[in-house]
Amino acid sequence: MSSEAAPRLLLVDDEQSITDSLAPFLSRSGFDVAVAADGAEALRVIASRHPDIVVSDVVMPMVDGRELLRRLRRSGDATPVILLTHVGESGERSAALDEGADDYLNKPFDPQELVSRARAVLRRVAAGAGGLVSSELVEAEGLRLDRPARRVWRDGVEVSLTPKAFQLLEFLMTRPGEVHARERLLSVVWGFDFAAHTRAVDNRIAELRSVLRDDASAPTYIETVSGVGYRFTRSVRRA
Amino acid sequence: MNRRRVIVAALPTAVVLVAAVVLLVVDRRTVVVSAPLGTMLLVAAVIVAAVTVVALVWRAHVRRAVSRAKEDATGSAAAEHRRFLDRLDHELKNPITAIRAAVAVSDAATPQLASIDAQTTRMARLVGDLRKLGELQTAPMERVPVDPGTIVTDVAATVGDAHGRDIRVTLPSAPWPLPSVTGDPDLLFTAVHNVVANAVKYSDPGDTVEIRGIERSGRVVVEVADTGRGIPAADVASVLQELARASNARDRPGSGLGLALVRTIVDRHGGTVTVDSHEGRGTRVSIELPVGVG
Repeated sequence: MSSEAAPRLLLVDDEQSITDSLAPFLSRSGFDVAVAADGAEALRVIASRHPDIVVSDVVMPMVDGRELLRRLRRSGDATPVILLTHVGESGERSAALDEGADDYLNKPFDPQELVSRARAVLRRVAAGAGGLVSSELVEAEGLRLDRPARRVWRDGVEVSLTPKAFQLLEFLMTRPGEVHARERLLSVVWGFDFAAHTRAVDNRIAELRSVLRDDASAPTYIETVSGVGYRFTRSVRRA
Repeated sequence: MNRRRVIVAALPTAVVLVAAVVLLVVDRRTVVVSAPLGTMLLVAAVIVAAVTVVALVWRAHVRRAVSRAKEDATGSAAAEHRRFLDRLDHELKNPITAIRAAVAVSDAATPQLASIDAQTTRMARLVGDLRKLGELQTAPMERVPVDPGTIVTDVAATVGDAHGRDIRVTLPSAPWPLPSVTGDPDLLFTAVHNVVANAVKYSDPGDTVEIRGIERSGRVVVEVADTGRGIPAADVASVLQELARASNARDRPGSGLGLALVRTIVDRHGGTVTVDSHEGRGTRVSIELPVGVG
């Protein structure tokens, strides 16, 4: 990848021991990397440099990662953000996703995993689906999802979903076209991903298909990707 | 009992005592009460009954206070334990992230890099699992009726298929099947799965693994028993703790968090987990859950 084509990535973390190694690794992986030590500095860099993606720690002095995200979204800035979550509460992650984070990774993470996530988010943005994560109402072929009200309609008729099935549909619909591994979906929706229990995801997908009248063998909305996980197949737009 | 209540309770007695002392000093008149013996006995019985009731109420109150104090102590010990795990997690995650980033950016030909990478990955997994355990203690949980029989059957099929082992399941059908418990079906599946997976892991293909469902005194008991290697007596008490591994389990991979996870899930459902084991003979893990409530 040439330097002109390299996506601009802003890495925000107050731990210099992390940025010292992670920044060169991300550069080597094809990103044009800038570093900021906290949210306040990050806001200044974003204003001057307009990065394509921001990777930010959550717990930082001055302006923390979630406040950075809130300020960006409040000002209408849709720059994709991946949060490096710090707080050991599953609520913290779902709150981050609700506030418009494009993705999150738990520290300590595999640096290669961060590169994969950043590329997936950039592909999503390039496909025009980037703003969905911060949209309140999304629609796809007769399916309408109201995120703040936690309500879903199929062909104009409201359907009833369990809270976890709603969260799963919300995550899939706001990230259409991407294949999401079962383990990842478990972690996002349940807050834990102890191996061997991915059947919990399959059960919720079965619930979604039944409620949405989606045929698994010829899916309208949710496609099974054999041996991996699930993908929302329709294009989704803000309503 | 707080001070105000004690004063209110003692006030009438004090007033009568003061009146008695005053009358003894200033008024030497005598009152003779004449009543049938039956009436006197009745009055005596009422007084004895009143004293007994007061004593019983007082004792129950003291007991409640003691048990509340014990619960508070247990709760604060659990909270302190959780804070310790949070601090451990918090202090380890940044250094481990930094090491992993340093390994990723290092020249692949660096001697021992693969070993550093493998060990850091192991530590990262451990920190991640500790956090998940912490999260599970406070994460929102579904509360729906769950059929323990279905959970047991599903787990036996899942673990049996994965390991090519025959797992015997015994569930009651008479006079009625196991009643429902209230809780999160995914978490309860995880708890039973971990126990059965452990039984398979620490037993050989020829050994027996059985799951029995029993209803006893308003509780559902799921027993997972095996004729595997068992747990040394000195380790039985600690196997439900985080990071604890029996001294004879080192040859099998494991984080020492599987049974701690089981205990956390069962605790959150208002149940208990007990472990009985004899080294060389086998192990029985009993998960007891309240019927219908969680």
